[in-house]
Amino acid sequence: MKTKSYILIVFSILISTLCLFIGPEFINPFSISGLDKEILLSIRVPRLLTSLLIGSALGVAGAILQGVLRNPLADPYILGISSGSALFAVFAMTLGSGLTLLSFFSLPFLAFLGAMTTGVIVGLLSFKEGRVVPERLLLAGIGLGFLFSSALILILSLATELNLRRAMLWLFGDLSLADYTYLPVGVLIVTTALLITILKTKALNALALGDDIAFSLGFSPSRERLILFTAASLMTAAAVSLGGIIGFIGLLIPHIVRFSAGSDARILIPLSAITGAAVLCVADTIARTVLSPTELPSGIITALIGAPYFLYLLRKKRMLWE
Amino acid sequence: MKNIILHFFILILLLFQSTEAFGQELNMNKKPPLRIISLAPNMTEIIFALGLGDKLIGVTDFCDYPPEVKTKSKIGGMTNPSIEAIIRLKPDLVIMTTDGNLQGFEKKLLRLNIPTHVFLARTISDYTKSIRELGLALGVEKRANQYATETEIALKRLKALGERRKTQSGVFIVWPEPLIVAGPGTFTAEAMAIVGLTNVAQNARTAWPKFSLEELIRSSPEIILTSKKHKEDYLFSNNFIKKLGSTPAIQNNRIFFTTDALLRLGPRTIGGIEELLILLSDEN
Repeated sequence: MKTKSYILIVFSILISTLCLFIGPEFINPFSISGLDKEILLSIRVPRLLTSLLIGSALGVAGAILQGVLRNPLADPYILGISSGSALFAVFAMTLGSGLTLLSFFSLPFLAFLGAMTTGVIVGLLSFKEGRVVPERLLLAGIGLGFLFSSALILILSLATELNLRRAMLWLFGDLSLADYTYLPVGVLIVTTALLITILKTKALNALALGDDIAFSLGFSPSRERLILFTAASLMTAAAVSLGGIIGFIGLLIPHIVRFSAGSDARILIPLSAITGAAVLCVADTIARTVLSPTELPSGIITALIGAPYFLYLLRKKRMLWE
Repeated sequence: MKNIILHFFILILLLFQSTEAFGQELNMNKKPPLRIISLAPNMTEIIFALGLGDKLIGVTDFCDYPPEVKTKSKIGGMTNPSIEAIIRLKPDLVIMTTDGNLQGFEKKLLRLNIPTHVFLARTISDYTKSIRELGLALGVEKRANQYATETEIALKRLKALGERRKTQSGVFIVWPEPLIVAGPGTFTAEAMAIVGLTNVAQNARTAWPKFSLEELIRSSPEIILTSKKHKEDYLFSNNFIKKLGSTPAIQNNRIFFTTDALLRLGPRTIGGIEELLILLSDEN
């Protein structure tokens, strides 16, 4: 299993590096012209770093939530965080163009604000009698998510065609906006949350066994759940605000990792980060290359890979019950 | 979440609707219409240009020109007009386009016995033909023919002026982030061709593609055009300009802010092309 993990890590690093040179035009790393260098540094490198950051954040957030909620179909968006983020961002994009909201706050900031607001509301709603129950967390998230996505669709149905197109591109996940401006903040948030998660992997393992067992092992299930939920929310919020709603990474990656390396959180979490980063990086490379010079939203590529896999999992699940 | 994604897919599909022509109008009322509804901002402008502004009783929420439209009743958006609001206004002619309105909406109106005319032109070259057809439907044949002829003459003159300019490469940025540009087949690209600009986005596969930023840099456009409303826009910030820093357009400070008339096929489009010619020649 250890060799498998190492192979996965090496493979991920190799493929990410390769992706840097693939795009609408292949850049030969051994003969880089001035223009190539500029494109590499000002466009591809920040884009690559952003995709790695978002991919790892979503992969880990998915792994956390599947464990905390004890639900194999949980993903970072199931708790409504993406809907809240999208609502804020699209509101600013469609109604607040020109001299209003967007001039004072940038889009990533508003998206992050929306995500965190949702996270806090879901957290508060699920907190009852000093306990955070997974089912309550899940249902609060789904309920709030529906509320926000209805509001989102309301805004979209009132938007002009051009704003609609723009909002749609953002909603499907768009890494073409990546530059260095927000990258440091993103890195800070994601690495902090990742460190917290890595420190809490034992608690995550315990929670997966059920609250009673976790308690008997010396963990406070509610407290651990809240900390892990916060870490997952932070990572999701950072991911969504940097790249829009990129689907299925959070659902797909933890399952892939579990298949190849088992479900021990101490391995699952770091490997989910690495694999998530590599997969999104590849998806984004495909998105910017296949129809060049037209770009596809990266979220569509991940969903096109993810959706069939999701269906496959669904099918497999049913066979296990039978 | 799945539900939302489904909704988005449906909306996206609507946005990428094909250019397949709508059916022709069934309206052959003998007497000229007195109660007209426009389902698109450019149609509203054309109706005013044909001198029928006072007969226009309903417009979309997005109709903003000429200023008189403010007093007209609103019937909703272009893709989602309220059919009830339309019926309530008792129109004797509804004008819609193939560019922005939903296909099939015309059939819905015809089933309700509301005479409907579809303006087919999507390009500057088809424009005057559609104007003449519209003139017939509106009962202002003479005025429409005159306007169409004037437009043709103006267009010919602009084309001659444009041909005298040396050919340069250019791009029309519709939206900076995410980068959306005018692609092949759009009248915006047509206007660029008239003033002697070759569109660097002519290999794109859709009319308004989300364009690759690095391809834009690589194609090194000599001219960058964008709408005036982006002049104050934070999106068109130094950051965005800096990314395009190596292109000849930015190095020689040849980025121009044009009127919205180049994004709306209507009576102001000719003026927009003229303004573009002046902008470009001023810098020479």
